[in-house]
Amino acid sequence: MLVAFLALIVAGCRSEEKKAASASESVPESMRTVTDDLGREVKIPQKIDRAVSLAPNLTEDVFAVGAGDRLVGVTTYCDYPEAAKKIQKVGDTLNPNIETIVALKPQIVLVSTASQLEAFSKILADNGIAVYITNPKSLDDIFKDLAQLGDIFGTQDTAAKVVGDLTDRVATITRAAAGKMPVRVFVQISKEPLFTIGKQAFVTEIVKRARGESVTANIETAYPNLSKETALALAPDVIILSDSPDNQEPNDAFKDSPAVKNARVFRVNADLLSRPGPRLVDALEQIARDLDAATRK
Amino acid sequence: MLVAALVLAAALGSERLSFFDLTEQQRSILFDIRLPRVFLGACVGASLAVAGAALQSLLRNPLAEPYLLGVSNGAALGTMLAFVFFTGFEFARPVFAFAGAVIATVVVYRMAKSRAGMNVERLVLSGVIVTTFLSSIIVLLTSLLDAAKLRSFTFWLLGDLSQATKSGFYLTLAVVVIGTIVLSSQARALNLMMIGERDAFDFGVEVNRVRIVVFGAAAALVGTAVAASGSVGYVGLIVPHLVRLAVGSDNRLVVPFSALAGATFVVLADTAARTLIAPRELPVGAITALIGAPLFIYLLRKN
Repeated sequence: MLVAFLALIVAGCRSEEKKAASASESVPESMRTVTDDLGREVKIPQKIDRAVSLAPNLTEDVFAVGAGDRLVGVTTYCDYPEAAKKIQKVGDTLNPNIETIVALKPQIVLVSTASQLEAFSKILADNGIAVYITNPKSLDDIFKDLAQLGDIFGTQDTAAKVVGDLTDRVATITRAAAGKMPVRVFVQISKEPLFTIGKQAFVTEIVKRARGESVTANIETAYPNLSKETALALAPDVIILSDSPDNQEPNDAFKDSPAVKNARVFRVNADLLSRPGPRLVDALEQIARDLDAATRK
Repeated sequence: MLVAALVLAAALGSERLSFFDLTEQQRSILFDIRLPRVFLGACVGASLAVAGAALQSLLRNPLAEPYLLGVSNGAALGTMLAFVFFTGFEFARPVFAFAGAVIATVVVYRMAKSRAGMNVERLVLSGVIVTTFLSSIIVLLTSLLDAAKLRSFTFWLLGDLSQATKSGFYLTLAVVVIGTIVLSSQARALNLMMIGERDAFDFGVEVNRVRIVVFGAAAALVGTAVAASGSVGYVGLIVPHLVRLAVGSDNRLVVPFSALAGATFVVLADTAARTLIAPRELPVGAITALIGAPLFIYLLRKN
């Protein structure tokens, strides 16, 4: 009992030391200010060598702008690119382990609003760690994030090139889709219970750019739990399944829909559809190909 | 009243239907989606209310209900295991749920039984302990298992009738009819036991046999209801109370009327869940709890 108590005291002192150390490190002569997606001004060191990403799309972003080697911590969800799997895990997006993060001594922690935790940000701030919050809702937002991350890591040239390439690929799809009849698409995120994409989902924009028209584009919220009656009445021409183990076939409500009757059901990697990062353009290209194939059938 | 609720529920939904001029698509909406769900809701409500009514009389405790006694959580854990290990088999869910309900009931019963015999306070306490223990296992499994595999489960845990199937409905219907008949047949014995177990014994009631029959029937009712729709709370608690206010405390009336009132309550709550924010949906368990909790407080203060 006494031993345990003493051990606790020692551990307490250690963490005090750590706090003091990181606090003194974080006030070097030259700081700069960047503005994150929520309009918060974030003070960061001139050169970032140690960063933690708390979302898989942000990890992909950082690797895309050529700064993957500076990530010292990522979430258990961060499995792309391959190199991300070897980085120290700090918990998942919703339950990051604050002690692990502080121990890694990052200069900046990248957060997506999906995982934004206020109390959590405050603890990091108290430890002299900057929290940068992103909130991408569209392809343009993703491109902005990439450019900003290029700024943060000092890899502006790589970021500009990546954004340029992605913009060209999107433009190619948009040009090809122009003037074609839109296709009525239902995107099924989960079969039971039935979840789809709504007005605020970034995939709705992707479907539209790929000459599709999401039949649930007018429903409020990003990922509505849809009534099966409405699903049946929507009778989509194409169904896109977000490819995950529990979502391998259309919900029974679609059994008489044109999509199922004409075998126009496609699968898209769930990671591509759920992560607002550079690979969303891969999803766009695939959906555009699928919709072209569907109209030729 | 149940008939009126059923008609109302059939008439309302996220899609507008007129009963007299149905297109093929509208027929499909009505017969394949809406009606199976409405009838399943009725069976689930009846099951939970009848089980609650019988347990309250048996234990002479107005708070007794399937949730408090660990029966529901046993069923929930059973269903969760079926979800994880037997994804393909539709009938694994009710079987596991029933097994879970029975095991939880037996454990609670054994814990409560001391050398001095069964004591009601001890029983309720055991029920609470088993319930919280099972909840913690469910939470533990939820954090350990793959999120994608459990998405439909976590939703179902809130009480969700949207996953209604015709076969699920037939099974629940069979169990609720048999269960209600069995429990009604014990109504006279339950009436005597409400006075006191000694008195019941003196009147020639086989107290132990009645206990086993009532617990067994309640476990079967709750098991199938939970397997079909998850945790629809408060039905087993408030419906029998309301029924007693209306017809008195004779179980020969309370048990069958609880079936009808429970069915009506869940059907109406689910109609609200389907239509309030259409075309999106709410879990029905949220609605029953939202109505049930304040209503229970009101009943408590009134008595």
